[in-house]
Formats: sequence, C-alpha cells, structure tokens
Amino acid sequence: MAILINKGTQVLIQGITGRIGSFQTQIMKDYGTKIVAGVTPGKGGTEVHGIPVYDLVEEAVKKHRVDAVFCFVPAHLAKEAAFEVISSNIPFMVITAEGIPDLDMLAIVRFAFAKGAKVLGPDTPGLISPGKCKLGVHPHTMFTEGPVGVLSRSGSLSYEVCRVLTASGFGQSTVVGIGGGPIWGLSQQAILQMFQDDPETKAVVLLGEVGGTMEHEAAAFIEKQMTKPVIALIVGRLAPPGSQMGHAGAIVEGEEGKAESKISALEKAGAFIAKNSVEIPEILKRIGV
Amino acid sequence: MRLLEFQAKKILSEYGIAVPKSILITSPEGLKQVSFPAVLKAQVPVGGRGKAGAVRTAKVADEGSSVAKELLSSAVKGYPVQALLAEERIDIQREIYLAYLIDKQINLPMVMASASGGVEIEEVAKKNPEWIIKRHIDPMIGVQDFMIRSLVKALGIDGVEGFRKLIHGMIALFHEKDATLVEINPLAVTPSGLVALDAKILLDDKAAYRHKDLMDALGEEQRRLDKRPRTRPEQLAEGTGIFYVPLDGEIGVIADGAGTGMLTLDLVHQFGGRPANFCEMGGQSNARTVEKSIEVILADPRVKILLIGLIGGITRMDEMAEGIVQYLKKADRRFPMVIRLCGTKADVGKAKLAEVGIEVFEDLTTAVRLAVERSKEL
Repeated sequence: MAILINKGTQVLIQGITGRIGSFQTQIMKDYGTKIVAGVTPGKGGTEVHGIPVYDLVEEAVKKHRVDAVFCFVPAHLAKEAAFEVISSNIPFMVITAEGIPDLDMLAIVRFAFAKGAKVLGPDTPGLISPGKCKLGVHPHTMFTEGPVGVLSRSGSLSYEVCRVLTASGFGQSTVVGIGGGPIWGLSQQAILQMFQDDPETKAVVLLGEVGGTMEHEAAAFIEKQMTKPVIALIVGRLAPPGSQMGHAGAIVEGEEGKAESKISALEKAGAFIAKNSVEIPEILKRIGV
Repeated sequence: MRLLEFQAKKILSEYGIAVPKSILITSPEGLKQVSFPAVLKAQVPVGGRGKAGAVRTAKVADEGSSVAKELLSSAVKGYPVQALLAEERIDIQREIYLAYLIDKQINLPMVMASASGGVEIEEVAKKNPEWIIKRHIDPMIGVQDFMIRSLVKALGIDGVEGFRKLIHGMIALFHEKDATLVEINPLAVTPSGLVALDAKILLDDKAAYRHKDLMDALGEEQRRLDKRPRTRPEQLAEGTGIFYVPLDGEIGVIADGAGTGMLTLDLVHQFGGRPANFCEMGGQSNARTVEKSIEVILADPRVKILLIGLIGGITRMDEMAEGIVQYLKKADRRFPMVIRLCGTKADVGKAKLAEVGIEVFEDLTTAVRLAVERSKEL
C-alpha cells in the first residue's frame, strides 16, 4: 500500500513534448512508473519515449485507463489544462507549475471539488512511493521504501529530510509535496487522513513552514484524528514579517503565520517537534518506529 | 502588489464606490487647490499610519501648510513620505470594517465584516472574534441578495440599496482585476451614504500578465514615490526572480529551494552563527542564476563567508557548479565559501568544482557547521 499512487497506477503526462516534460517523463518511466499516454495539443499521433501522444485528454482516456495525471503545462495555461483533465473524470492530478494566479487556482479547486477529483499542488515536485511509483520530479536516489509517510510544503525540504531518513535506515511509504501555495488543492489535513488510513505507514513526518494558518488546522486534526505518531519540522524561524521566503505562501502575516505559533500548536496537539532535519530520525528511533 | 491608498481609491471609484474628494500633492504648494478643513494622509504602503502620526487633520490653510511640510520631510516605517492625499473631511456617524478575500481554509471567497471598523482587524480578531462576520460566497452561485440582506442586518446598516451597490462593486473589482484582497477600513456611514475612508487593495502579481497596462502604470507610480534607501544587494536582486531577504548576520546564504533555504537559516542559527540573508534562486535556476546570486550576496559588505546549499530536483548540479566556476573566473579575489551539493548530476558538478580547487560537502549539517566555525575565525 501507499497513498494516492501505487505500482499499478496508470499515468498520463500533460505537456509531454516540452523540454522538461519530456526529460522528466523519461526519468519517471525508467523508475517504473506506468506512463500510458501523453497529451500535447497539435502533437497527436506522435510518440515520446515510446509513449503515444494525443491532442486531447478525451482521446487518451478512450484508449487507456488513466488513474492519474502529471501536468507540466506552464502557469498561464494551467487552468484550462486542469479543466480538461477533470472534465474527463480522471480522479487525481498533480499540478507542478509555480505562479498560477490565485483565481485560476480557486477555479481549479472548486471544479475538482464539484467533480470529486483530487488535485495536488500547485508549485510541487509531485509525490513518490519509493520502489513503486514516482509521479514527480524528485531526485529519487535519495528515497527508499519503508514505513514513514512524509508530507511537505517545500519540495527541496522533502528531498533533504528523505535523504537524511534514508541514510539513517528509515524508508518512506509515500512522500507528498502539497506545494508552495498560497491556494492548495489537497491540504495537509487531507494527506494526514490518508496516512492515518494507510496500513503501510507507521509514522508521519510533517514538513511545514512560515505563512498561512495551515499548520494550525493540521494541529487540530492531529489532536482529534491521528493515532499514528506525527513528527513535525517547521522551518523559517528567522523569517522577518512581511517578506516572501521563496514560496508564494511563505509570508508571515499576523501571529498565526509565525513558526513559533505553529510549533506550539503542533506540540500541544501531541506532535513530536524536530528543530532540524537531523533530529527527525533520532525521534523516530526514540519512539520505536 | 500592494496599492497605495490613492491608487486603491481610484479603482474603487471606478467601480462606483464612494470615496472622499481628494487631491494628491507632492509639495505644500499643492494645497492651494484644497479647501479646509482637510485630512492629510501620507502615501506609504504600510499599515497603522494613523498611530504613526501619518494621518493628520488641518482646520485652516496655514495649519495645512505646516502639517504638509512636516509630513513630507518625515519617514513612516522606513518609507520617506513623497506624497500626501489631501481629502475633504467627512461627517462620520459610525465606522464599519469590510473586506473581500479568499478564505484559504476552505478555498472559498468571502465577505469579512465588522460593525466596529476603524481599528486593525487583527486586533478585533484577537480580542473579540465574535465581532467578525464572515459570509462565504460560492462562485457557483455568486453573491445573492439574501447574503447582502443578511450582512446589512448583522452590521446594523439602514437601507439595503447603498450597501448592495458597494458589495457588487467590490466583488466585481476583486474578480476583474485579479485582486487577492479588497479591504475598506473604515467604511464610513454618513448622512449621504457609505463612503470608503481608507482602502487596501492587493493585486495578484502572478496574474500581472492579464493586466499589463494597469500593473505597469501602478508600478511606475509606486517606483516614483518610493525613495527608500536600497542596499546594493537589493538593487542587484531586483527583477531577477531571485528571492533576497536581508537579515543581520555575516554568513551569506544561497539555496536552490525555499524550504531548504529556510532550514539552512535555522541550522546556522542553531549552531550559533548568524545568517546575513535569505536567498532562494527560484524554481528554474541555472548557471546564470547561481552566478547572479553570488554577485548579489557578496555585494553585502557584512558578509564574511558564503554558504551555498544545493539539492537538485529539477535543478541540475552540473549547471549549478558551472555558475560557481563562472563567478570565480570573473572575480578579482577569492572569497571564503562552503558548498553543499547533492542530487541530479552531482558527480559532474563535484568534479567541476574540484578542478578549481573547491571542496564540496554532501551533508547539509556538516557544511553549515563548518561555515559557522569559519565565520567566527574571520
């Protein structure tokens, strides 16, 4: 088991003929991800790395069962691309683009909600279930199969932490990048629920940062719903209020956006607090995972 | 983009929302066209101007002139005041708070309001959260009249008509201009109807391509009125897509990801060092971005040592290393630096840096610890 994706997940790549899309598709395919189709308008009938390319998502889903989509379409075209995927009743998609206007993202999230589809992102490397399926652009040699579920707002932070976990002998069940925000499809809460329900996941690592109130909602959820141990690392303790720390969502506005406020909420909710990446495997050892 | 008050009010009035009559002045001479009593308000993009003494009332012309002189030679929270909005004084019966924004907890737009306006809403939220009224508006049905009537009742406003027009204007503005916040605080109840006394509008930079003319014009206006002293690194980073945030230490930090960048700062701090800045190169960084980032950080005279932390996902380490090598070729001096590099094509990157005699670490904590130690010896 893993969450959201698995060995049998059949994947469609949107924007498969672009420079990054094509390069990353090859890496995913080599990793073992079952990529069954690609879509780029105007390139229908061609192939990329032996994968058939279609003009439209609806053409692809007539020929193939598609469980998930990875969308490489750039930010200003992402709304229509997502509408096309969701209109074809595909249950899950990852949107990797950074810089999608908030109102576009809002429309995507609302439409997905109405159609019962799940959207991960934006501004995310995607997700990986080590040894099973990679729906993302992660440097996968840093990841290994195991019992720790990881969810992160930052892609790079999830690489860093998984590298440390792998080196300490802790493999990962699924590593999910929820993205840099400020509007998100799947929330930390939604992913926490999935890890709670996943028999393979024994403990969860939550990687958060300054900005927004998401970690406060996650804390409330952890307190009420999580029986599995949660280890939380919140970065950005030195972030000055009002400055954008890279991610669109990483701006401290008000008390709740501060790292300290999130840390104390998570601690109260019963999460184990790590001050940095190295402390995470130490905590896992201590609590006997 | 955070609009200045006069910019926000201009857009509000384009959407049929009443604002006080006003003139923008950049010198006391501009007051000749102003009738008194008048309110003089410093045009700076910060909150809490009232408390900071940047909003003043003048009863007569002489007083106006001396207040204008004083304000125009002052600075508010680091912003030298370059312009004042001179407004007619409004006869206020009571003040209301009103805003339209997206509630990110449930991804729905909402009207947020409070019958007690004029104060900072964060204060109200802390002390009397029950005073804040929220009405979510599902885009599927849009704003309906019952919602407006419900708000009118909750806020205790007489008559629905004026408020209805105002809400419709606010929401149309939000969606048509890609705003992320439209806030009117205070909204004054006056004998002649509802008037926006102050306004804060945030426009979504990510949607700037859809409003190029408007955003260009607003940006140009703001640059003209922004005389904040800028440091050399801030000047160099402007318009490059590099996120640069100055801090007060001596270890210059560069990262290829936002999360690892923040973690690196935290680690520097935990190991007893002091970071000079946060610097993230942005998603699509390449050799040129690294070179430029080093240039930005080393332009800060406080920086004693450079700590570069790279963990490649989409970024390629061969390109990152190339950027560092390129910088060194151009540089007129060697600079103490500690580099952490791992991920996609790390072997090629390492080899490239070894050729120019630079050692690379794979582990982040090792690199940070070393940088902190060395920063203390320098």
